[in-house]
Amino acid sequence: MREIVYDVFARKGRGDQLVHIGYVDAFDDETAKVYAWKTYDEENWFEMCVVERDAIIPVTNGEGHFAQLKRARDE
Amino acid sequence: MSPFTDDELKQKVQDGYMVEGPEDMTEGYRKALVVQLTVQADTELMSAPSYWMAARYAPSTNTQVSAHAIIQDELAHANIAYRLLEDIGESKEHLVYGRQPHEFKHPYGFDQPLDNWAELVVATGFFDRAGITLLTDVHENTSYAPLKRALVKIGMEETFHLRHGEVWMRRLSKAGGEAKEMVQRAVDWMFPMTIEWFGLPDDMKRHSGQLDYRLKGLTNDQLRQVWMSATVPLCEQLGLHVPAHWDAEREAYVLDYPFPCQYDAVDKHWAFDEGEISWDAVFERWKGRGPMNEIYVESVQRSRLDVARWLDGKAAA
Repeated sequence: MREIVYDVFARKGRGDQLVHIGYVDAFDDETAKVYAWKTYDEENWFEMCVVERDAIIPVTNGEGHFAQLKRARDE
Repeated sequence: MSPFTDDELKQKVQDGYMVEGPEDMTEGYRKALVVQLTVQADTELMSAPSYWMAARYAPSTNTQVSAHAIIQDELAHANIAYRLLEDIGESKEHLVYGRQPHEFKHPYGFDQPLDNWAELVVATGFFDRAGITLLTDVHENTSYAPLKRALVKIGMEETFHLRHGEVWMRRLSKAGGEAKEMVQRAVDWMFPMTIEWFGLPDDMKRHSGQLDYRLKGLTNDQLRQVWMSATVPLCEQLGLHVPAHWDAEREAYVLDYPFPCQYDAVDKHWAFDEGEISWDAVFERWKGRGPMNEIYVESVQRSRLDVARWLDGKAAA
């Protein structure tokens, strides 16, 4: 049962920063939306989005979390 | 792989360096982190069937909802910890579905049956307090940045579980009579169970590297004291007896029973009268796992192969 990794971003209220709050494993975009909403229910988020991790393009080619994960995937 | 030697990395994390991913780690760091995260993930995962089977004792629809909300949180926390493990090269599929029941690394307390509502609320009051004690320390001290970030959510939710447990402990205790007796009976086996959960005393602790790599900040004995500093006054306030007291001279909580000692899992009884046993005997008991171990693990793994087979069949057609 292959699952895809999605990263979850959310902002608490109008005017707040959109921040990375976690990740879910899901079969597709629809289940990722459900899992993210049910998993990260600690706040009444104003906005939440999920992004397939493979679609995230690190801009800095440095030591950051996503850059490291991308290099590990590409190896 | 890390650009640092193991000694260099240990020094850097002590100076505040935050590890962001596998490339920053030495193999020693990665292994220590895998052990820590596996215990964390397995504990969250196995608390779910333990609480789930006890949730049937909830006395109202509202308490059914709150008990299941706790279970939902625990499963989400487990999922997050297994995802962190996957990101450092471990397989979530294997960890959750590929291991035998005795191979899970959760504490012995989550191999025990919870047989009534009083036991469920004391479990959330004591065991979740232990969880918060351990994870707050990790959150404040860990050098692994993805875990530090993940623990913000987990800490918020564990606090709700704890509040739920303590509110109900208070309510049942204040009622007196049978309600209070049931809480006392639960406290009698769960207090020493949680004390043991924190592991070997510091003077016997084998070197694990978790402090050197700054994966945690406090020692086992310090964590045990933090847990008692909240739990003992709470129980005293509720008129519940616990086998520990504050020793003003030593400025520490002191246990009033031989520690460690043997436990009869069938009768839920600690054999204080048989005296102290060795930690090897404790490890032997833990290794043998508790009465619900296979049932709880089986409840988590049960459907996986069946549904995977259905899906494969559909894909083939």
